Order: sequence, then C-alpha cells, then structure tokens
Amino acid sequence: MSELLRAQELTKVFRSNTALNALNLTVNSSEIVCLLGANGAGKTTTINLFLGFLEPTSGSALVGGVEVSEDLQGARSNLGYVPEQVSLYPSLTGLENLDYFVRLSSNKQPDETYLRDLLKQVGLEQGAVDKKVDGYSKGMRQKVGLAIALAKGAKALLLDEPLSGLDPKAANEFCQLLRNLANDGTAVLMATHDLFRAKEIADRIGIMKAGVLVEELRPETLDQAALEQIYLRHMHDDAPVEEAH
Amino acid sequence: MIGTIIQKELTELSRDGRAIGLLGIVSLLLVLGLVTGFATESAREQDILQAQEDDSSVFLEQGVKNPHSAAHFSRMAHKPIAPLASFDPGVASYMGQVIWLEAHYRNPAMFRAAEDAPELSRLENFSVAGVLTLILPLLIILTGYGSIASERERGTLRQLVGSGTSLKDLLLGKFAVIAGIAFAVLALVVILVTGFSALSLTESGYTASDIVLRGLSLLLVYGLYIAGLAALTLLVSMLVREAKTALLVMLGVWVVAVVGLPRLSANIAEQVYPSPDAGTFWEDTRASLQANRPGSESAEYLAVEREVIERALGRDLRADELDDLPINSAAVRLEVSEVIDAEAFNASYAELFENYEKQKQLRRVLSIFSPTIALQHLSRAYSGTDVSAHEHFSIEAERQRNTIVRIMNEDMMINGVGQSFGYVAPAEFWEAVPEFSYQPSTVTLAWNESVIDLLILFCWGLAATVAVFWFGTNRVRI
Repeated sequence: MSELLRAQELTKVFRSNTALNALNLTVNSSEIVCLLGANGAGKTTTINLFLGFLEPTSGSALVGGVEVSEDLQGARSNLGYVPEQVSLYPSLTGLENLDYFVRLSSNKQPDETYLRDLLKQVGLEQGAVDKKVDGYSKGMRQKVGLAIALAKGAKALLLDEPLSGLDPKAANEFCQLLRNLANDGTAVLMATHDLFRAKEIADRIGIMKAGVLVEELRPETLDQAALEQIYLRHMHDDAPVEEAH
Repeated sequence: MIGTIIQKELTELSRDGRAIGLLGIVSLLLVLGLVTGFATESAREQDILQAQEDDSSVFLEQGVKNPHSAAHFSRMAHKPIAPLASFDPGVASYMGQVIWLEAHYRNPAMFRAAEDAPELSRLENFSVAGVLTLILPLLIILTGYGSIASERERGTLRQLVGSGTSLKDLLLGKFAVIAGIAFAVLALVVILVTGFSALSLTESGYTASDIVLRGLSLLLVYGLYIAGLAALTLLVSMLVREAKTALLVMLGVWVVAVVGLPRLSANIAEQVYPSPDAGTFWEDTRASLQANRPGSESAEYLAVEREVIERALGRDLRADELDDLPINSAAVRLEVSEVIDAEAFNASYAELFENYEKQKQLRRVLSIFSPTIALQHLSRAYSGTDVSAHEHFSIEAERQRNTIVRIMNEDMMINGVGQSFGYVAPAEFWEAVPEFSYQPSTVTLAWNESVIDLLILFCWGLAATVAVFWFGTNRVRI
C-alpha cells in the first residue's frame, strides 16, 4: 500500500483563528479515511489544503509524494474532488456537464457510452441524463459530481460531505462505489457528519475538534454505539484538547 | 482544453436568450448604421459628381471674358467622399465639402453636411464606428461580466480548479469567447464595408489596395479595443466577489471611459485650445495679410514682381529690361499680390490646423484614461475622415487655386498688353485650365500620424491582458 495523501504538521491560521493545528495524517492507497467532527472542526480546511485552495501557515500537504504548495497542478492531477454542494452549469445537461469536467480534468475526449455508464453507475435516473441540470435535485447533482470525480480515474478522492442530500438507497450505492474504488487502489479521504456511513465504509476514522485531530479509530474494533459515545464525548468535552488524547 | 472551454461557453451562450437578444440588437444597430452610412455617403457622392460636372461645364462655357473676372468666378474644389466614410464619417461632415477657389482669397471649405442636416438626419451620426465604439463594449461587458464571478458564485470555479483545470486555460478560453464574439461581429462589418467600398470605387482618387489596407488597419485597432475591453471585463469579474458587482463596475467603466471621457475630452480640448469662429479667423487673417504686404517700391516686392514676370515669360529677365517690357502691369500686380498673400493665407491656415492638432494632442493625453478616445482618433484617421485628411485636401485645393489664378493672370499679362482690365480671353481659353485632380492622402499618412494613438491603444490592451493573466494565475480567489 503506497501513501497517497499525507499531512505533516499541517497548520492553517486565519488571523487569530487556528482552523487546523499541526495535523499529521496519512491515507494510503485502497484505504478510506473518514473525518468526523462538528462544523468548524477543520475537516473542510484539511481538504482545501490538499486541493491547494488554501496555503498552509506551516507544515505541508502531499499528494502522491508531491507537495501541493510546490507543484499544485501535479498534485491536483492525482486528485478527484466532490464538494458538499456539487456545482454544475445549469444550462447544460448532466451528460454535458460530465463531459465538460472530464475533458478539462483529463484533457481527453471521453466516450459518450462510457459517460452514460458512469452516470448510470452513480445512480442517476436515465431520464435525467439528457435534461438540463437546472431542474436537478441536490441528490442528482451529487451523483453527477461523483461521476465527475470517478471519470477522472484519480488516485486519491477528497470528499466533503458527499452523502449530504442523498437518499438512503443512493447513499448506500455511493458507499459501495467508494468501497469498490478503494479496493481498486484509490485512496479516499471523506469529511462527513454521518457516523453510520463512516463506520460502515471507513478503514480509519479521525475525529476532529477545533482544528485538532483528537482521535483516530479503527471502526472494526468498535460497534456503532461505541463510536457514537466516543464522538459525543469529544464533542461535549470542554477539557483541553491535549487531555482528550 | 481551451477548445473545450470555448465550445462549452458558446453552448451556454447559445442557450441564454439574453445573450442572443443582445447580439441581435447590436447586429440590428450595425445593419442600421451600414445602411444609413452607405445611403448617406452614396447620396453625397452623387451630389458631388453632379456638382463637379455642373461646375466644369459652367466654367468651360463662360465664353469670352476677362481672365481676372473668371478668376473671381473660378472653380470649386470638391472633396471626394472617403470610401470608408460610411464606416466612420468622422469630422468630414463638420469640416466642409467644397472649397471655392477664388482669386485673392483662400476660402475655407463650405457645405458642412452637419449644418444642413434636418433633425432626422442626425441618425447618420449613429454610424457603424459609433455602434462599434459605444455599443459593442456593452456586448462584451454583458457576455463577460459573469465569466469568473458567476463561476465563483456557483461554485463551479472551485470544482474546475479542484479537478485540475488550469486557471490560465480557463481564462484564455473565456477571453477567446468574449473577445471572439465581438471580433466576429467586427470582422463581418469591416469586411462588408471594405469590400463594398473597394468594389464600388468611383473616380475619387482612392485605390482598392488603399481601401483594403485601411480596412485591415481598422480591423487591427478595433480588435485591440475589443481585446482590451474583454480582458478588463474578465479582470473585474475575477477580482470582485459577485457577478452583479462586476456588472456594476463594468457599466461604470463604460459610462466613464466609453461615453463620458471622449465627450468631455473634446470639451476640455476646445476650452484649452478654442477654435476661432469664422469672424475672428478672417479678422486675424486680414490683419496678417496687411502686415505681410510690402510697399510696392520695396526690394521684396520688386523681387516677387521679377519672379512673377520671369515665370510668365518662361525666361530670365535682363537687369534693364523690366521697365520697357510689353506686359499688362495690372495683371502683374494681381499676380504679385497673389504670391505675397498666399504666404500669409498659408500661415493662417497652418495655425488653424495646428490648433486642431493641439486639441487632438490634449485628447490624446486624456486617452490614457479612456482607450475610446485613442480608438476614435485611429478610426477617423484610417477611414480618411479626420482633420489631417481634410487638411491634406485643403492644401491641395489651395495649390489648385494658385495654379488657376496664375494661369489667368499670366494670360492677361502676356495677351492683354495695354488693355489693363479691358482684356478678354477667347472662349476656348478656359480649356487650358487644368481640372482639379485630387489624389487623397493614402493610409501611410494616417499610419504615420497616428502612431501614438496606436501605441496608447496597444498599451491599454496589453496592460489589461497582462493584468488578467497575472492576477488569474497569482491572485485569484477560488
């Protein structure tokens, strides 16, 4: 298993607010790591630092051994990204959106059948594929977003609350897809609030609080209730973070 | 990658009814400008051809007459319509179309179309150049203000960049679409006007190659203008947070730089270097003529007198020959005064045109804040409808006046010995006076005189383009 995502003492400070404090984290190929935490815990900041949307205050983020701040395009070429709110072009159809993003990210002319299969794979209704995205629900957009990330064939996937807005069936299919991708060697880092899904698919779970990775867990060692207890203890723990370790 | 971006942008635009509507309006205005431009200039050209014909037949058929009377009656010099006047009428309508080539006076051009135009004809000011200068920027602004800002607002910019799309390629693709649409409209119009003008050449003195070069020059400068505005629109769209702010900022830029400053610059230039009214100009010119006239016994006068006689006889005079020479002395005096006064007239007109040049230079300074001013200068220069083109005509017409008057005076000098003003020339004499064969200034003159305007416009375009790509790759907020 090779190391595809690595955060070394990764820190981001916005004025006086430390959004991420000396994060050390690795995600290997074929591994799914879920980051749990309340809003403002530092999950999205971590993803943004890997994507190069933010410059670290100190420390480094590496993608496939490439330091993001040194070779942004090189690092991004290995990444697939699904944001919480998948943004698409409203006047284009789902298929056209997918085609556009795939062409730009891979610089290749994708086969239409392949794209249709991808949309089918992520569970987008066949009738919606050729309709303008303008009328899509949030869940449908998420599916197209996932298809975009899958189509690129990225070595590592960064997912920021991707399950938000998906119906249970689609969420289940989505998790299955992620598992399949991981089995094929993709590294997945997913920020989520969904403890149930995290427990279901993650190889490791990181709990974040106030910019600090306060605990790393292996879900196979716990049941759902134990995970919830640990999570809630951290969320309601007013004790200094160091003590929580 | 850029091709993909262009294709997607065009698909989006084609599905956006507002963009299509706007393009339709701009096209309609351009068609209106083209039709009215061609109609107006064709009508003027016909009028000129007719007037030239009438003037020629009246002059040739005036019968036996004293040449000096004929010199007062004289000819009209008609300024040919610049072939690209239908594209940009420039200042031609305000400078006058015909110069009366009269003995003793260098007259200003008369028949200013702008003064004679009824209210409805003011529509002709809505020229192709006017639409391209004023309205085309709106098309650029309205198709481009949301280029980056809307992507950012929607979140697609983040998604694109996150998936590895190069921001530089994205900007290049969007720039190509915004500028490309406007340039396609421009190219179509310029090709139409240039092609039509080159194919329908009359005996105006212009050549097809000159018209084509003028058309290409117009394509270049309007292209630079479009590129600069497209880059500026992209830059603003990239720097502000929301698309509506980008629209407001760019509309502000349009009001100030495209509409306001060009008009204001003309007013400022007129205030700083006021153009003399006709009364003042003639008063000053008369004073200058008086001051310039030497006494009839002065060495200067006598030198001119000798030169005039020698030129009429076509040989040098001996030192003692002048007093006994069989020559019409009244005609000699007339020609001497013509030669002496021509110098003062030329100085007065040179001062007048120098004042126009100063106004232009001041507007040029202000064009640092508005590329539209530089573009207007270039557009008029390349269309052959600027002050320089008129000055060229005015100088050539004066040369023709000097020739006509000299021929009249010399005929009277040699053939009217002892008859003073009682001499009459035979009816066929008038055919000896050459027709005014005006060769308009070529595009080379326009190129030479508008280097600075071109440089200013180029710097504008370059600065905006460099800024958009520098900010785009270094400072853009995702």
